[in-house]
Amino acid sequence: MQLYLPIAEIPVNIFVIFGMGGAVGFLSGLFGIGGGFLLTPLLIFSGIPPAVSVATVTTQVVASSSSAVVTYWRRKAIDLKLGTILLCGGVFGSLIGVVLFQVLQSIGQLDVVISLSYVTFLGAIGGLMLFESIRAIRRRKSGVAPKARRPGQHNWIHGLPLKVRFRRSKLYVSVIPVVGLGAIIGFLGTILGIGGGFMMVPALIYLLRVPTNIVIGTSLFQILFTMAAATVFHSMGTKTVDIVLAMTLMIGGVIGAQFGARMGQNLRGDQLRMLLALLVLAVGLRFAIDLLLTPDDFYSIAIRKGAGA
Amino acid sequence: MSRLFLLLSMVLCLTTGAQAQERPAQELVTSLSSDLISIQSNFTGTEIVIFGQASDIQRQPNDPSSYELAIVVEGPPQDITTRRKGRFLGVWVNREAERFQHVPSFYAVASTVNIGSMANRTVLDDLGIGLNHINLAVSGVSNVALSDRDDFRRAFIRLRKQMGLYSEQEASITFLTETMFRTNIPLPANIPVGDYKVKSFLFLHGHVVAQTEQTLAVAKSGFEQVTFEMAQSYPLFYGVLAVSLAIFTGWLAGVIFRKD
Repeated sequence: MQLYLPIAEIPVNIFVIFGMGGAVGFLSGLFGIGGGFLLTPLLIFSGIPPAVSVATVTTQVVASSSSAVVTYWRRKAIDLKLGTILLCGGVFGSLIGVVLFQVLQSIGQLDVVISLSYVTFLGAIGGLMLFESIRAIRRRKSGVAPKARRPGQHNWIHGLPLKVRFRRSKLYVSVIPVVGLGAIIGFLGTILGIGGGFMMVPALIYLLRVPTNIVIGTSLFQILFTMAAATVFHSMGTKTVDIVLAMTLMIGGVIGAQFGARMGQNLRGDQLRMLLALLVLAVGLRFAIDLLLTPDDFYSIAIRKGAGA
Repeated sequence: MSRLFLLLSMVLCLTTGAQAQERPAQELVTSLSSDLISIQSNFTGTEIVIFGQASDIQRQPNDPSSYELAIVVEGPPQDITTRRKGRFLGVWVNREAERFQHVPSFYAVASTVNIGSMANRTVLDDLGIGLNHINLAVSGVSNVALSDRDDFRRAFIRLRKQMGLYSEQEASITFLTETMFRTNIPLPANIPVGDYKVKSFLFLHGHVVAQTEQTLAVAKSGFEQVTFEMAQSYPLFYGVLAVSLAIFTGWLAGVIFRKD
């Protein structure tokens, strides 16, 4: 069934979009991720204008993270104080992201920046995750128990001033890296149309040493509010949030996520992380190929003023 | 009194009739199947039919000296940037750009014969009939070498054709009788909204002897229009609405699929 999108101004097959939302929702439920980094490229590759894809996925991420936040809230697995400080940075980063987004769009370099960022971040994070998960699998096979929390160990981040105590996370760290991390994730999320959970979670664990049982809930909490802000900023700035596209993706996404979550319970954590790492690397590689291979068409056009601009 | 009036009106009729016979110009009348295309959520493209009548033409097929017709459907103007990719540090990025100003957002031309054979280049350029004769004005600032400008023009037309927004159909105007004709112009699903112009030209020996112009409105309607208007005029409200819908959907899914 074809459905005309009011903002993207093109008709799409609603079942294809619904299916995409469902498939990405399944994976996000399986791995406990937002799935934005998969959904945005899928939409772009299927012919939705990049600006509309990015802005609309921020809305979809709000839906997928809000249902998870409720669950973690009930389990009391969210550090509200940490989440709120992260979120302040996130909203600020998102605002800068929307401004830069419009500048890049007007000089015609948005697509290449999106592609390059995907290659860089997905490549780096995917590589790290793959490396880490392989080590974890080896460790498990060789029977060595993984080391528990190392409260005594400190890195350079713990030497920064403006320290704050986070009771639930059992942390005493400076707010500078917390705000900075929130801002970077908010900024990238707004430009790339991703929640950024796959970057936030490792950063919280390895840089700030947030306990793993608090990490996901807190990360989702910050993503929910940062992406809500990004949606509003995109609506006001780029005016490319397509509410019809977003609704279709959301409904597919939340249903898919339920099945994914159930299947995820039957897989081991390190196996899941390795699969996710391979998925992240594959998406990064896809963008890299597009950047490096000689394009089929050297020319492209963009409407600047008048009808449909 | 009434007799005088009758006489007067008869004289009047006769003189106007005589004038009509003397007038050398041919009459061209055209009509559109619809003057409003409304885009709704089930819109997947449509077509308009243009009917017309050209009186006093003796048209012989394949006779270059006979009457020929061209019908142009033109969308509202746009400024469009055409970019060319080049290698930069091993990566393909957009390098040169050329901005075309006030170009039609949609352009379709139907004609009875090959456009080039209807009139000479200057006439076609002046009227903007045919894809090779559209006025593609460039902006002053451009980093494109003069020798490459034609490449950009050709690429622009080619890309617009690929999107179905520019088209040229020769011999697509069919004559139903000696003087009545019709043609179909397809409007693809991605047509821009706005006011369109439908111009018809009657050619004889390479000159326009009659022409008409009509307007066609393409507009979103119903839900599509409400949504678009809201996104444009009340962006803050639209953004908050999108977020609320998303949170509601997420929350609802959480409630429905709750395990306990």
